[in-house]
Amino acid sequence: MPNIVLLNSQTHRTLCVQAGASARYGDNQRFVPVIMGEFPHLAVHYPILLTKDQDTGQFFAGAMLGFDEGENLFLDARGMETYRPLNLQRGPFFTAGDDLAIDLDSPRIDEAGRPLFTESGEPTQYLQSIMALFRDLKPGLAVTKNFVQTLSSLKLIEPIDIDLAFDDGSKRSLTGLYTINQNALRALPDADVIDLFRRDYLQVIYLMIVSLKQVPVLARRKNNALLKATAALQGA
Amino acid sequence: MVRPIQNIVIVGGGTAGWLTAGVIAARHQGRIQQGNFSVTLIESPNVPIIGVGEGTWPTLRTTLEKMGVSETDLFRHCDAAFKQGARFARWTTGADDDGYYHPLMLPQGFTQVNLVPHWLESEQGRSFCDAVTPQGALCDEGLAPKTITTPEYQAVANYAYHLDAGKFAPFIQKHCTTKLGVRHLLADVQTVNLAENGDIKSLTTEQAGEIAGDLFVDCTGFRSLLLGNALGVGFKECKDVLFCDTAMAMQVPYETPESPMASHTISTAHSAGWTWDIGLPTRRGIGYVYSSHHISDEDAEAELRHYIGPQAKGLTPRKIPIRSGHRETFWKNNCVAIGLAAGFLEPLESSAIVLVELSAKLIAEQMPANRDVMDIVAARFNDVNHYRWGRIIDFLKLHYVLTKRPEKFWQDNTDPASVPDRLKNLLHLWKYQPPWFFDEFDRIEEVFPAASYQYVLYGMGFKTEVMPGDNSGTRSTAIGYMNENTAMTRKLRTQLPKNRDLVKKIHEYGLQAI
Repeated sequence: MPNIVLLNSQTHRTLCVQAGASARYGDNQRFVPVIMGEFPHLAVHYPILLTKDQDTGQFFAGAMLGFDEGENLFLDARGMETYRPLNLQRGPFFTAGDDLAIDLDSPRIDEAGRPLFTESGEPTQYLQSIMALFRDLKPGLAVTKNFVQTLSSLKLIEPIDIDLAFDDGSKRSLTGLYTINQNALRALPDADVIDLFRRDYLQVIYLMIVSLKQVPVLARRKNNALLKATAALQGA
Repeated sequence: MVRPIQNIVIVGGGTAGWLTAGVIAARHQGRIQQGNFSVTLIESPNVPIIGVGEGTWPTLRTTLEKMGVSETDLFRHCDAAFKQGARFARWTTGADDDGYYHPLMLPQGFTQVNLVPHWLESEQGRSFCDAVTPQGALCDEGLAPKTITTPEYQAVANYAYHLDAGKFAPFIQKHCTTKLGVRHLLADVQTVNLAENGDIKSLTTEQAGEIAGDLFVDCTGFRSLLLGNALGVGFKECKDVLFCDTAMAMQVPYETPESPMASHTISTAHSAGWTWDIGLPTRRGIGYVYSSHHISDEDAEAELRHYIGPQAKGLTPRKIPIRSGHRETFWKNNCVAIGLAAGFLEPLESSAIVLVELSAKLIAEQMPANRDVMDIVAARFNDVNHYRWGRIIDFLKLHYVLTKRPEKFWQDNTDPASVPDRLKNLLHLWKYQPPWFFDEFDRIEEVFPAASYQYVLYGMGFKTEVMPGDNSGTRSTAIGYMNENTAMTRKLRTQLPKNRDLVKKIHEYGLQAI
């Protein structure tokens, strides 16, 4: 159970946090919620897709990092070389209103990690970077929500079924993922197209379409990982 | 010159009128937008809506989707909830544990293999319903037929709606007039003006003058102003088959706003009829349908109050006469009747709204191109409707004929003289071979498919002799489907939310269109 409290320079003066990417610290996620501002960074590495929140049925955008539960194919012993989504970068931090909060039960809380405050109680550079991150992330969530709602109301969302067969004989069938309906996009009335362009949504839509090309790349990554595992087993 | 059919005039602003307007206008939207087709609905500002039927059929999902209605809006504006079928309690013996489901899902593998003889051969303590579909178990636990991530109108388990009929008609009205280009006139029809050939030429109204049209749809309710009154088409009663002639209804509040809400209609047999019990989010609609020849109004009210319990205190029932039967013909000249104007049967299987949908769809799809060919379409419409009404009457009667209840009402119902010949023959046949997909009920739009007969027959303990050895060829297929059903039941019970919880979430977040 998370134990989330407001961050306080007095009580948390000596607290240290492991900031790096590691499965042990919770970077092992196959689908991470992302914001619109990240799309240019994401699209060159990951498929950017939509899925539904299990609790509300509302669409949200995410970067697909793997195929199986808890699988981030971009994570290795050194961390994550490619762009690390803000929702992973933020580590154990949350916002509560305008304040920063922290999950004290997170495995990232570790004496060997980075300090949050200087001896005089000033935020360290690391904590300042987290504060800056939330200045992007928080409004970004609202902006992205509006974007996704616009896609939905213009009926630009369609389901995408991803069926894969890997060289080790295993198969994956992913459901519940959605992308841009390109036929519907082409059929949009001119006024809607101009509106999308003026709101900077059009380029974001094209980034999502382009990012679909990352699905086979991701599948190759998975295939290599599976073959490596098989080879290791045979070697043993 | 043949006269094209371009102007449709619907009289009556209840559920039947507005659904018909919506179905026709949606189908002919292209022509409406080009200005060479119109749908006009005339509604009296002075006649109250009966608002019959709070139970519907799964067909309503397709009907509304085709009209472009949002399912989320339906839930938010019509006090709608999910319906996964009906449970018939106390119909067979009257004992406390006497009950069976008529669910909306077909038995597993219905088109591949008839599971009835296999179940008969080896019941293993399971009801027929539980052996062949998960839906009874879902209803037992008050679960919804889908989740918040299931798109609008799509189902995990097949479903229809319970809804507030008083809110449904205005809801469809708004959609028709704002989205589908239906013209709405508030006016009282004074005279129906006939042409020499007997067609309706126009209607003279008190407030809007004379309204001409090419096809007139009579949705004026029991009065049947056009087809019945003006064109003189008679009414064929069927009280010799279905005895109930009165309903007494109450709207009952829940004990608390969080009380569980059943996701099926609960239909309970009493001494001289049965009660419906329909759970809407804000209240239960409960009514006793009975035969006034078998019980007095006072005693009926007492039975109704006893069924409801303390929640009935302070509530006054509304008494509604039921005249079971239908018009002798449904489409005459250029006038067709839909809804109560076409007929009415006790609401045992929620057949009222589905008949409106099917009739409206038939008219919309086969809209006569001109007056010359209208009689051909009309003959077809009449044939189909006679068939449908006949089959519904048979199916309703089926619920009564298998009873073992001792009261006079129930025993009178088992009198062979009151059973239609066709049903009598089928019951004879079914003693030796169970109904299935391929026999008898083979129309494309059959109101009650053979599966419905299976659920009622074997829910009420009907016995069909299984021919020895006859199952051997299909046994492994049948066992496969029944095992699949057990696995599916287990899975759905863990995945699906409570009926009330999902309806609340739909109010809060809405369902996605895809």
